[in-house]
Amino acid sequence: MPDIDPERIRVLAEAARVPLRTESPERIARAVTPTVTRFAAENLALALEAEPSTFVVVQRREIVP
Amino acid sequence: MNETAALISADSATFTLTEMAAAIRDRKVSSVEVTAALLKRIEAWQPRINAFVRIEADSAMELARASDAAQARGDIKGPLHGVPLAHKDMYYTAGKPAGCGSKVREGWIAPTTSTAIARLEAAGSFRIGALHMAEFAFSPTGHNPYLGHARNPWDTERITGGSSSGSGAAVAARLVPAALGSDTGGSIRLPAHFCGVTGFKPTYGRVSRANALPLSFSLDTVGPLARSVDDCALVSQIIAGSDPLDPTTSGAPAWDAEATARSPRGMKIGVPTRFYVDDLEPSVAAALDAALDAFGKLGARVVKVDLPDQAALAAAALIVLAVEATTAHAPWLRERAQDYGEQVRARLENGLAYSAVEYLEALRWRGPALAAHLDAIGDIDVIVAPASRAAAPTIAETDVGGGPTAEATILAITRFMRPLNYLGVPTLVVPAGQSSEGLPVGLQLIGRPFGDERLIAAGRAFQDMTDHHRRAPRLP
Repeated sequence: MPDIDPERIRVLAEAARVPLRTESPERIARAVTPTVTRFAAENLALALEAEPSTFVVVQRREIVP
Repeated sequence: MNETAALISADSATFTLTEMAAAIRDRKVSSVEVTAALLKRIEAWQPRINAFVRIEADSAMELARASDAAQARGDIKGPLHGVPLAHKDMYYTAGKPAGCGSKVREGWIAPTTSTAIARLEAAGSFRIGALHMAEFAFSPTGHNPYLGHARNPWDTERITGGSSSGSGAAVAARLVPAALGSDTGGSIRLPAHFCGVTGFKPTYGRVSRANALPLSFSLDTVGPLARSVDDCALVSQIIAGSDPLDPTTSGAPAWDAEATARSPRGMKIGVPTRFYVDDLEPSVAAALDAALDAFGKLGARVVKVDLPDQAALAAAALIVLAVEATTAHAPWLRERAQDYGEQVRARLENGLAYSAVEYLEALRWRGPALAAHLDAIGDIDVIVAPASRAAAPTIAETDVGGGPTAEATILAITRFMRPLNYLGVPTLVVPAGQSSEGLPVGLQLIGRPFGDERLIAAGRAFQDMTDHHRRAPRLP
């Protein structure tokens, strides 16, 4: 996966209505690229039924009655 | 006061939480004497380590007198009757300020009391002040340009770790016997490791976060820093349990105090084959080896465990944390961005970069990732791993602000933290050695979901046969 384009940051910040300093998109792009690329490398193929609360279901299997 | 009573009174400031509560209950020392002794220590240490953001001496003495008067009437509130405590300045108490380490919340008065504080006060404790913290609980180093940095009592040029910087420093310096911290990406465990105290991050959903400052609602956990595992168990027993104000605690099991006293004989202890054991400083590697040896002598079976890729879990955790923190702070980022410190502002801005799909994939993967973790560990009860690859770095070398090396520095410090927040598993940090410079080194004991009590039992047995947790920093 290529490095994050600062333009993506500009667009997302504008959509979130958060003003950024001129130099910030480049800095943010450099900062998040390792995380985004590492996560993308997992190439997740999650089950259609997986949702955030599936975590709670798995977690609570461990509760001993 | 006779000479013996005066000596007990002076020493009472250095009692552990369990010792202090018992001494007050058994009338060996009064709450007034303990409070006065702690205030004296705070007066001596505060200029060096900046652990407190507020010291409430007058009201603490008044509450101590009220506790003693109640005890004289036979009115004991609970297991912490008469014990003065202080907590990270993000736990709300109705009518009191909670600055959350930030200029943005300067002067803010909390309208409600957090469930954890309410439970500790119902057990008889009261506040002696409020403790330093990283701005909005969003820094693993403990730097705070607005309040001035808290400093490590072992070496004031070193970081305390964050974000529960004041909790780590104050407990280490014996200014309070225990303090609440919070842990979203290591904020209890890092100060425990760097300051040489015991810290406990419970299972996600075991302790209510209601009316405490949120950072990332999917990852935030509330827990104690204290002098020993015994003390962490005592606090956890009081604060754990279901709370209608925090739905994540719905259905959480009641605390099983009996299970915390079980012997580790027959327990299966895992040691990771990679990631947590890569590139360790010699003192950390030695502490790990010694701890495994200790668990072997305690009758536990030590086995190697090949965990799933922890770097991927850390990336997912960071995406969840960044997006949720940025979302929570978006109104202030729009209007008051200049009131944030550079490091925190930069990190909050980073959260704008992730897409909705990335965020929700990171959240949806959490269940399958936990299932994979449980498959990998099989019937292992506790995993032992370092908390960090080294002892506390200096304030200067980690003072990166929002500069180009900030994110890399933060990622290095939190390397062994984030996967465990993502998995939501309970984790206990215990002092386990010291560096060549005499700085504390801690280890993480990592449990199974809702296996908090088993973890406490293992940590308690470890501290019964070691004395690392008894070492204390001294004033020069």
